[in-house]
Order: sequence, then C-alpha cells, then structure tokens
Amino acid sequence: MRIVIAEDDALLREGLALLLRAEGLDVVATAPDAAGFLEAVDTHKPDVAIVDVRMPPTHTDEGIVAAVEARRRLPGLAVLVLSAYVEQAFATDLLSHGSSRLGYLLKERVGRVGEFLTALHRVADGGTAIDPEVVAQLLTRSRPDNRLERLSPRERDVLALMAEGLGNAAIAERLFVTDGAVHKHIRSIFAKLDLAPTDGTDRRVAAVLQYLESA
Amino acid sequence: MQAQDPATGRRRARSWDVFARARTTLDGLEHLVGGMGTSALALIALIGLAAVLPFCLTGVGLRLVPTSLRGLRTVANRERARLSRWGPEIINPDPVPPDWRTAIRQPATGRELLWLAWHATVGLLLGAIGLTLPFRAALDLVFPLYWPLLGPEDRAGAILEIWPADDLPSALLVSPMSLFWLGLALALIPGMARLQAWPGRRLLAADPGTDLALRVAQLTATRAAALDAHAAELRRIERSLHDGTQNRIVAVNVLLGAARRALARDPSTADAVLERAQDAAEQALSELRAVVRSILPPVLADRSLADALSGLAAASPVPCEVDADVPGRCPVSVEATAYFVVAEALTNIAKHSEARRATVTVRRTDDRLRIQIVDDGRGGAVEDGGSGLAGIRRRTEALDGTFTLTSPTGGPTTMNVSLPCG
Repeated sequence: MRIVIAEDDALLREGLALLLRAEGLDVVATAPDAAGFLEAVDTHKPDVAIVDVRMPPTHTDEGIVAAVEARRRLPGLAVLVLSAYVEQAFATDLLSHGSSRLGYLLKERVGRVGEFLTALHRVADGGTAIDPEVVAQLLTRSRPDNRLERLSPRERDVLALMAEGLGNAAIAERLFVTDGAVHKHIRSIFAKLDLAPTDGTDRRVAAVLQYLESA
Repeated sequence: MQAQDPATGRRRARSWDVFARARTTLDGLEHLVGGMGTSALALIALIGLAAVLPFCLTGVGLRLVPTSLRGLRTVANRERARLSRWGPEIINPDPVPPDWRTAIRQPATGRELLWLAWHATVGLLLGAIGLTLPFRAALDLVFPLYWPLLGPEDRAGAILEIWPADDLPSALLVSPMSLFWLGLALALIPGMARLQAWPGRRLLAADPGTDLALRVAQLTATRAAALDAHAAELRRIERSLHDGTQNRIVAVNVLLGAARRALARDPSTADAVLERAQDAAEQALSELRAVVRSILPPVLADRSLADALSGLAAASPVPCEVDADVPGRCPVSVEATAYFVVAEALTNIAKHSEARRATVTVRRTDDRLRIQIVDDGRGGAVEDGGSGLAGIRRRTEALDGTFTLTSPTGGPTTMNVSLPCG
C-alpha cells in the first residue's frame, strides 16, 4: 500500500510516517501543505492519502479542498482525512462526493494503532471509516422530521456502527450478537427509515449518510 | 458655573490679595474683550436675521432662513470655541439642515436665537464697559498733562463725570480719581466677564439629550471594538492551542501507539520511539506555557507593570530602554492592555522599523496611565488592517483610552497611548 501524508505539523507528520513504516506500509511522500500534497499525488500516484484538515495558509479547510481535488485528479484514490476536532460540515463536504474509499477520523484515533490500521485498510479496500464522534453528532442532530426516533435503542446502535463503516460481521462482534440478529436489525432499520435494503457496506453508509444529510 | 471658571472661581475666596485680584481682573478683561468680538459678530447676525424676517411674511424670505441660520450657527460656534478655551468644552451641534422647516425645528436653533439676543446687546455693552473702566483710569491719571488742550465741554464732568476741572488744582485732583476707576474695574470686571459668558454656557451647551446620544454612539463603537479585540484574542489563543499544544499531544499519542507496537514486535526499537514521544511531550508543555503566558503574563500578576515591561524589553531584539514610573497598581485590565501595547509595539519595531534602539516611557499622572514608545527607525508606519497598530488601537479604545501615532518617513516613530485608570 503506497501512502502520501499531508500534515503541516512537522513532528506529527514524521510521527505518522514512522508509525506506518514500522508497520511495513510504504509511505512514498510527505507534504506540509496542500500544494505539496497535490504535487506528491501527481508524482507518486499513491493508493491512499492521509490528509490533515487544517493546513496553511488559512488553517481552515485546505485539507478537504485538496482531498476533493486529489480524487478528481486521481480517481480511485483512497483518502483518510484526519481532523483535530469533529466538524460535521467537513464530513458532509467530503461525503457529498460519495462515501467509497473515504475516511474521516479524529487525530487521536491514530494512537490506537490496531484500530487505525483497520480503518486505513478498510478505506484502501474501497470501504468507509467515519469517526464514532462524527456519527454520534450526525445522529443526535435535531431535525423537524426525526424518523430516527422510530428506531429502537438497539437499532440505533447498529445504525451508528453501520455509519462508522463496519460490516455486518464486525457489528455482530461489537454488539455480541449473531450475524442473523444484525441482519434482522438492519432490515428493520431500512424499513423504518423508508430505505430499500441494499447490500455492500459503502452503499449502506451512503444511504444512511444521505438520509442524515437530506433530513 | 463658578467651578468651570478656574481663574476667577479659585481666587474669589482670597480676594483680599490685591495681586491675585489684579490677575483675575486681567483674565476677566481678556474674556470681556474676546466676548466683545463675538458680540459684535452677534450684532451683525442679529441685524441680518431682523432684515430677513419681514421677507418671511411674504414667503420669499423662507428660502433665506437656512442661510441666515447658518450665519447664526457660525457665530455661535465661534463663541462655543472661545468658551471651550476658557472652561469646559462645548460641543458644536449638527450643521444647519438645508430645509428651513427642519432648520427651525432643530433644538439648538431656538437656544442660539435666545443667546444671540442677549449677547448682541447686553454682551456687547458689558464688553464696552469692561474696556472703558481701565481706559478711563489711564486717562484720568494723565489728565493734568493734557487738560489745557481740552475745550470747556470736555472739561465739564472731568471729575467722576460730576464736577468740572477748569484750573490746575482741580485738574491735579483728577489724577487720584484713576484709583476710583481702577477700584471699580477690580470690583466689577471678573463678575462682568462671568455674566457675559453665562448665557453662552447655558444656552450654547449641547442639550443633555444630544450629549447622551453622542456618548451612547461612542460607547457602542468602543464596545464593538472591545468585542472585536476580545474575539481576535480568543482566535489567537485558539490558534496557538490548536497548532501548537494540541498537535504536540496528538504526536505524543501517535508515538506512544507506535512504541506499544514496537514493544510487542521488537522491544529494542521501542526506546527510540519513546524518546521521541517524550520530546514531543516536553514541546507540548513549553508551548502550553507560552500560550498561558501570552494570555496574562504571570509577572504582571506577581510583580509590577514596570517589572513586566522590563522583561519585555529584555526579550526585544531591538535594544530597548524602559523608564516606568508607576506608583501603586492600576486595574488589571489597564495593566494587561499596557503590557499588550508595549509587547505589540516592540514586535512591530523589530519587524518593520529597522530601528537601532527604542525607548518606552510610562508615567501615571492623576488618573491616566501614559505610555510613550519611540524608535529611531525608518518611520512611515501606517495603521492598516494587517499591522499590530490596529490591534493596539482596538485594545486601547476598548478601555476608553486614546492612541496617537506619529511616524514621518525617515523616522522617528512615536506612539502615545493614554489609558484612564481611575
């Protein structure tokens, strides 16, 4: 897996590279800003890009803009966005172009190396990784027509894990239930949210997020 | 009104002091003569208004009303300026509107008309009398020298306007009479000066409503500036916490994660990673310290403003001398602002001025803290959005202080900040 890292903080940039290289991953380039990042993407044609949201010059959403641009230049590029804090607007900006091969995680998740690597691989393999904090914010957002209130607490748990990008087996494992039970919950969720059930992890997440955005 | 009359008010209690009384009288005379100037103008304005009035009945004159009221306003503003030099400041009202109806309805207009009637008549008379008294004293003193030149009608009433002085003995008797006129001048002139100014102070002062509206506008503006300064400060703190401390701690976290993985895999490599993690933790601490310090420097709380400023000067890349004589403590907000102003100014000097040295002078006089920062750099400093100077102004005005900047091209640059610290 060939990786490019865009992060303006030198220490964090090197720390990330060190961590990933120690895990046997191929970090082909690191960049301190959006321009350097896009150049590295053009040069190295990586599989995955790990991008910080706030970068120079304005320290607002350069990373999001650069990530969208990088995916335009290199279709199929998996992007994992790292953010210092949850910003729902950034998440929806990013996901409005489709949720496949996308991740949005808080920076501190990197410290849990095992989970971080799982998320990284999931994104690289065409899946989605959304930070639980982001999902929680999306789910608790108050809306005039809150169809989510129809869900049972268990169904909400399942939906939250789905939104994070987990597959059925992983959800079953987290909730200590059988695959069959998860299947039943998901069918019920789609019915209550008026969504036609589909299979494929990213399409489910897309459906969930699209519902959350449009509501 | 007496309290606003420093020359006369202060010395009235010791009027037995002839010299003090003479000074007061001279002051009064000066004011009376100045008042006579404006009262002559007032007389012209009064005649002009009286001339326009008959035309108003036919309607033609109405178009002349704003013009003549503008003349009245000009004269009144001259009087306001004159009275402001002498006592408390009297603020000019808004200009006369072009439409005669609104011009007449302006509250200041009616009050100015009343003042005009008084000042053009009584004011002028008081001025004339005030000027005559010392003049008469001088003439009487030298009367024996020129009495032979006078005709009989001028000799009549030479003594106190009552008895004639037709021969040398009676002419000599006129000289001591100058003492009478002088006494009269000493007794009357200070009071006459106050009497002449009184209607102006009463009628030309902005009516209390206007005054309050101005103050409200000013307060609204400075309050907005305070909020701006506050928001900018919060943004600065948020930025330094986010870009510095938070990133360092994230790095610590990442490196600790890496170290744990290394421990599981090959413990001999873990130590190097842990060392980097510790470096990052130390950096996080030092950056946190810098952020905390920039919010309110502890030295300001523990020691004094002078000590805090000396610390700033020592850290300045441009050699800087601090001369701070601030007895006692000022309110925390004032000291923090003073500290910020000096810090920002020194940063600015180091960045832009190419100065070889700078001096900071801080003085507390009465209830104001005055700060002067001078550098010998190339000058030409301007207050645009980007420079720290705009920030200095915002912070200063937020405390109702004033900020002035003099920076001719070629230098030197002088910054003056005055903060109320009552």
